Amino acid sequence: MTPALKVTDVVKRYSTGVEALKQISLEIPDGAFFGLLGPNGAGKSTLIHCTTGLATPTSGQIEIFGNDAVNHYQQARADVGLAPQEINIDFFLTVEESLDFHGGYFGMPKKDRRDRIKELLEAFSLTDKRDERTRTLSGGMKRRLMLARALMHRPRMVILDEPTAGVDIELRLELWQYIQRVNSEGTTILLTTHYLEEAEQLCDRIAFINHGEIVAEGTTEELTSHYGVGTLEDAYLELVGRQELTRSV
Amino acid sequence: MTARQIRVASLIRREVLRFWKIKRQTIGGPLLETFLYISVFGAALGSRIHNLDGYRYIIFVIPGLIMMSWAINAFANNSSSILQQKFSRSVDDQLSSPASPTELLIGFTLGGFLRGLLVSSIAYAASYALVQEPVANALILFPSLIIVGLFFAQAGVAIGVRAQQFDDVALYQTFLLTPLIFLGGVFYSATLLPQPFRTLTHFNPVYYMIGLVRYGFIGYHATNIPISFGLLVLATAALFAWNWRVFTTGKYLRS
Repeated sequence: MTPALKVTDVVKRYSTGVEALKQISLEIPDGAFFGLLGPNGAGKSTLIHCTTGLATPTSGQIEIFGNDAVNHYQQARADVGLAPQEINIDFFLTVEESLDFHGGYFGMPKKDRRDRIKELLEAFSLTDKRDERTRTLSGGMKRRLMLARALMHRPRMVILDEPTAGVDIELRLELWQYIQRVNSEGTTILLTTHYLEEAEQLCDRIAFINHGEIVAEGTTEELTSHYGVGTLEDAYLELVGRQELTRSV
Repeated sequence: MTARQIRVASLIRREVLRFWKIKRQTIGGPLLETFLYISVFGAALGSRIHNLDGYRYIIFVIPGLIMMSWAINAFANNSSSILQQKFSRSVDDQLSSPASPTELLIGFTLGGFLRGLLVSSIAYAASYALVQEPVANALILFPSLIIVGLFFAQAGVAIGVRAQQFDDVALYQTFLLTPLIFLGGVFYSATLLPQPFRTLTHFNPVYYMIGLVRYGFIGYHATNIPISFGLLVLATAALFAWNWRVFTTGKYLRS
């Protein structure tokens, strides 16, 4: 079966000389709920940017459902939806227009866009806000909109880069529920998060990334046994180094 | 419509919607500015000048003003729209879509081009109502205006993509574009200038653009029309090629 994402020996070196990804390789099976965990600056967002075309890898290959995501990217990008870490909504647009334009950028016909917008506005409780300018939305509403936008063109894989950062518990649970439903319908999810319980609860496989390298990968049980600890949190602390953490307190 | 056509139409529609939502600033302001120029230079000062190289001053000055409004609006729209989208990172939504570099470039280019077309069309309609500004050579005028609009729309894209802050855009607009346009002969004929300014004017590319547009409107012959047109087309194609390369490599846009 063709994997949803196949990353082979990817190197990303910025013009400053910083090597953010060091010959990284990773495979995410179709339909998986995959977690990518690591400290700030580990290379999570760089890997996501290389996958979605926001950054160009220095070398290596990235395939999305078997399609080259770097050189012949059209089909690959059509299969991916991205909800980035930073709020990047177009502030000139309303909620509905944001979804409509996104669908347009992905080549969706008008009627299809209209139907999908209705469906997503209802699913994310945004129907009342459809004509509001995005800049007037609360932080939580903006997060919902970003997730709805990522799903707008019905991608086969959704990349969620810290989607619940800064949202209240109620909304977090609501988003979890929706993401789980999307995954159960067959969409592959790649999630980065700093909330370990989120990863533990949602993901069926997890990879740890540190200093631009995948240092461990497996189920929660496999990772805890790899580090010889009892919980995912302890495994993560082993990764980032307990001593470093202790020094910083 | 094919997926490609939908993508391009959406990119253009977004750019048009942006300037339409802030139309007091993007349409109203430039129109007022053009009418003020027509009033001050055409009506007030023009009543003292009577005629220039055989033309009523107001008739002589309007073609340059129409070209100027198209050029400045095309440039300003694209440079600021792209920079705003880079700041908010909303451009990532377009960059991570299947849209090709050419599709993205067409979308960003046509936003400013259409704003320039709208402002200069209204300005022309008003000047026609006021002084019956003629169109002597439509076959020269319309292609020239279109290429001039595309040239400055491309220039706006090039600067918007490179700019890091709004000061960078202002730098080019205030210290390069506006002086070139003003010194290119919008308000006067280069033949009136003393040396060495008359010769220096010939090194200003905008001089040839104004020459083309003025010839198209009133038949005033100051520059070699075929050579001017050919050079303008070449310069616009070169800018397009430059921008296409930037969008293809992702320089300044993708990391």
